Amino acid sequence: MEAFYSMKNILGTPEDWKRLGFRCGIEVHHQIKTEKKLFCRCPAGPYSNEWHAEVLRHMRPTMSELGEYDGTALMEFKTKKEIIYRLHRDKVCTYEMDDNPPFQINEEAVDKALRIALTFKCKMVNELHVIRKQYLDGSIPAGFQRTCIIGVDGVLPLSNGKEVRIIQVGLEEDSCREISDNGHRIVFAVDRLGIPLIEVVTDKTFESPQEAAEGVQRIGRLLRATGYANRGIGAVRQDVNVSINGSTRVEIKGVPRIPRIPYLTAHEARRQESLLQIKDEMVRRGLSSGEFPIDEKKLEGNGISFHRPELKAAQMAGDTIRVIRLPESKGLLSWQLTGIRRFSDEFSGRVRVIACLDQKPNIFHTDVESAVLDDHDLKLINEFARCGKDDVAIVVWGPDLDTITAVKEIHIRWEEASQGVCNETRQALRDNTTDFERVLPGPDRMYPDTDSAPFEITREKIEAAEQFIPEYPWDREKRYLEMGLPEDISRNLAISHFADLFDNLLEEKAVAAIRAGEVLARIITALRRKGFDLTKISLEQWEDLLRGLGNGKIFREGLFDFLKNWSKKPTSGFTDMLGEYSIVPADENTIAERVSEAIQYAYENVQNDIEKRIKVAMGEAMQSLAGKCAGEMVYDRIRDNMINDISC
Amino acid sequence: MNNETSIAQDEILSPSLPPPNPEEDYKGYKGHARKLLEEKGARVWCEVVLETTSGDFPGILLPRTETSDDRHLVIKLTYNGYNVGIAVDTITSIKILGYRKANYQIPEKEFPFNPGMPDVVLLGTGGTIASRLDYRTGAVIPAFSPGELYGAVPELADICNLSTRKLYGEFSENIGPPHWMGLAKEIKKEIENGVAGVVVGHGTDTMHYTAAALTFMIQNLPVPVVIVGSQRSSDRPSSDAAYNLIRAVNTAATGDFGEVMICMFGPTSDYYDLLHRGTRVRKMHSSYRSAFRTISDVPIARVDDKGFHPIKHDDAYRHRDHSQIPELDAVFDERVSIVWYYPNMQPDVINSLIDNGYKGIIIAGTGLGHVNKPLYPAIKRGVEAGVQFFMTVQTLWGYVQMFVYDTGRDIMELGVTPLANMLPEVAYVKLGWVLGHTHEPAEVKRMMLKTINGEITEREPIDGYLVMQGGLPELDDYFKRFQV
Ligand SMILES: [Zn+2]
Repeated sequence: MEAFYSMKNILGTPEDWKRLGFRCGIEVHHQIKTEKKLFCRCPAGPYSNEWHAEVLRHMRPTMSELGEYDGTALMEFKTKKEIIYRLHRDKVCTYEMDDNPPFQINEEAVDKALRIALTFKCKMVNELHVIRKQYLDGSIPAGFQRTCIIGVDGVLPLSNGKEVRIIQVGLEEDSCREISDNGHRIVFAVDRLGIPLIEVVTDKTFESPQEAAEGVQRIGRLLRATGYANRGIGAVRQDVNVSINGSTRVEIKGVPRIPRIPYLTAHEARRQESLLQIKDEMVRRGLSSGEFPIDEKKLEGNGISFHRPELKAAQMAGDTIRVIRLPESKGLLSWQLTGIRRFSDEFSGRVRVIACLDQKPNIFHTDVESAVLDDHDLKLINEFARCGKDDVAIVVWGPDLDTITAVKEIHIRWEEASQGVCNETRQALRDNTTDFERVLPGPDRMYPDTDSAPFEITREKIEAAEQFIPEYPWDREKRYLEMGLPEDISRNLAISHFADLFDNLLEEKAVAAIRAGEVLARIITALRRKGFDLTKISLEQWEDLLRGLGNGKIFREGLFDFLKNWSKKPTSGFTDMLGEYSIVPADENTIAERVSEAIQYAYENVQNDIEKRIKVAMGEAMQSLAGKCAGEMVYDRIRDNMINDISC
Repeated sequence: MNNETSIAQDEILSPSLPPPNPEEDYKGYKGHARKLLEEKGARVWCEVVLETTSGDFPGILLPRTETSDDRHLVIKLTYNGYNVGIAVDTITSIKILGYRKANYQIPEKEFPFNPGMPDVVLLGTGGTIASRLDYRTGAVIPAFSPGELYGAVPELADICNLSTRKLYGEFSENIGPPHWMGLAKEIKKEIENGVAGVVVGHGTDTMHYTAAALTFMIQNLPVPVVIVGSQRSSDRPSSDAAYNLIRAVNTAATGDFGEVMICMFGPTSDYYDLLHRGTRVRKMHSSYRSAFRTISDVPIARVDDKGFHPIKHDDAYRHRDHSQIPELDAVFDERVSIVWYYPNMQPDVINSLIDNGYKGIIIAGTGLGHVNKPLYPAIKRGVEAGVQFFMTVQTLWGYVQMFVYDTGRDIMELGVTPLANMLPEVAYVKLGWVLGHTHEPAEVKRMMLKTINGEITEREPIDGYLVMQGGLPELDDYFKRFQV
């Protein structure tokens, strides 16, 4: 069976996706702005890479209902990771370290979460019940995250008219920041843990990679439009889950950028399709039922010497080398899954994560077309493993215990291949393919947080929250474009917390749309990028400024300097600032005088080139007039003057 | 996250309800909420759809915490496993789809017997060290039998042959003199049966009282008696429970100690546990993993995955010595109290104790061991009535020194005996034990001051005042230097 699209056209057509049965659901996690964390009174940011103490923990799996460790738990336990937490004394207290019970849930966060859930048109719950969601990857020192549901059954409209169901809007604590993960040691900074996080989860109703990307984008924009979404690196993370006909749900965690979603999900669908093909091939070869015997042998040093540098080095270092024979597997390990990924990468991923053999390459196999292993090594391994012509050998090396784990995992993955697609979480790689991260956890990992009391959401609270629901940003953007505003302004303004102010002032005709739009969507951004902090200037102050812009108290040209000064004294009122920086409009005499001086100067310094002369005169005039009158007016006067001069 | 159904696999959805059981069927529900449930015929663990003015909520009806209001029903949502509360006055009807019966049990696995390994007995008093989680209520179900423990902490089988006996099922705050005496007797029996060591599972709150009591009630120990618990229940993946248990069992099985000790986390990190002498240890934090601290002294040893690292000098603690014969001395007179002095304490506090027949009073005085003058007449009255008064310090660290100030000398003159650096709780336990032997004042005094195992120390080591907040680099460094 041939892949239904070429690699050049990974994104395919809607018909392709329909045929494949592509289904995708998304989860968006977005930090919300609050002063303090969700369950303790530590500040909700900013982060710091400084730390004052380190704590070591291990995550031990707890038994599930049936007394067996569940899939994820078992896997994480096998890794036996040392987890190091770095603590900053101002950003972390004993709560984050699970040495103190939680404090009451942060009401500021609850209020904002209510507004967000209403924005997604959710059915609201009347009482929050905090539950624990177990994580054994170390990202939370307690081993579980505290989370609760704010609303369920919301709606997200897409541009094609489809309505996506929002399963839930939840409020939870953010996890630690991973600093490094090498071998058996993973390091986290704890400062991020506990910052309130909004979780928006959709049904798996996206039927193409493009639709999924739009969904993520719309959720993000809607969250931004509420004005509560935190900005900055790592403030938003999205997970997408993908399945096709005959496969099972696979989650891609922590997708960094929206434009990658179509590629990632397409590659994942393709990977699943390939795995299903491999399954069929295994059935054909009689590898589908009962036992999956593999032969495993520890390679002792007696006279064997490899060419391949990694194996040579392992021998030198006294590491264990194990060789595993997979019967009847010729052609399977080198089977292309998607992109440059082969079936062998599935084994390599497990070995990397579960056996902690994370230096790549971490396996070699004899099912190769290329020159990864030379003939000498191939022969050596095949002979040692006693491979028949249809068999393939896999080699792993490293510390003895880790290689034992690796062999077990290879065996497990081989058995799982006969089932098709495994239920797992995968991480996004640079080339938009994915690699194994962990086995998807079982359902038992959510249970009530016995440390927290229920928190009532009163009708008054919901009514108050209803006052803050923003217009859909895509509707707003369309409105602004129709008004004739440039694209960038329309787009940015639509998710800006100034949008309501902008609309109100326009309705009053207090200021020109383009002028106000420039200030709110361009100038502020430009100044922020230059490091000027305008966040302390209130909405009322901005309103005064925009009105001033409308009635000629201040001019566009003077805004940059004015705002730079204002950022240093954000508590000053607009009028006070005008007075203090003597920004008073120039009178007609002054303007005429300056313009004439400037023209004089230009004539003296520029020969013959009119355009250049105008430019020089303009520069000269604006040195003294900037911010005190409209630049367009000065330009017109200079230009008229000079062109008239020539025509004479 | 996982949005698949959260229903455990061993639950069976049965179409019919079991026979009514009012206590369980409305667990935690009262007033309006209970009335609604009764009206609609719904019960806890029913699978329901709550039809409300804002839409339908499908889920399993959960029990409610007793202290919560009567205006909400709690359900576990069928489609995502989260719990939510729905206001009773928005519910228009309850559709009952069935009943989900949960059947919880801890799997028993045979604890492997290995003839080459030491025998250790674990005596249970009620604290949960190992446990399993009831995922629906968040409650922990203690694991206790060797089989259950083996299922939860399989590492134990690499250390010893473990047997367990559940003596009591009490929360820590309910453990008292009868349990101390009972434990002491059982420990003696176990030692005579030839175990390599005894582990006592105990709730942490009063663990140090029990440690002191056992030190007095069973002396001349040939093997270690290790009291252990956990500050974080073992449903938490980062719980201290398994480590504490493994290290305590290891101490009992192979540790070269011959006294009563508490084995709990040293730092909040997993690195090591500390073995604290039973008479010098105190719970110093309500929730920290490393809540237990040795006061005015250093712990006996550190124990980690590599073994034992003594902190005290070799001759400063009792070693394992199988030739010793344990001496049981399990008596206690319960008419003993601790009075924690505070400024402006009125004499009626002392008087009411005297009038109620108390025979011994430990005062935790301020500073070097002081109380205010208005108490003097009451103390005098007590002494004359045959009540024994002893002074300890509420600073916990340091010695009583009553010669420094007039106040101190006056108080001694009244008949109050200073107890050096005995901890107030330890003094309380010891006084009850001593009064179990005699009420003769001179003899009581003599016995109180005769040290049994470190409850009074002749000297305070220079690092006896380390309040070790484990994990802080400077203290760990200090500790490392000290360890060699
Ligand atoms: Zn905190």
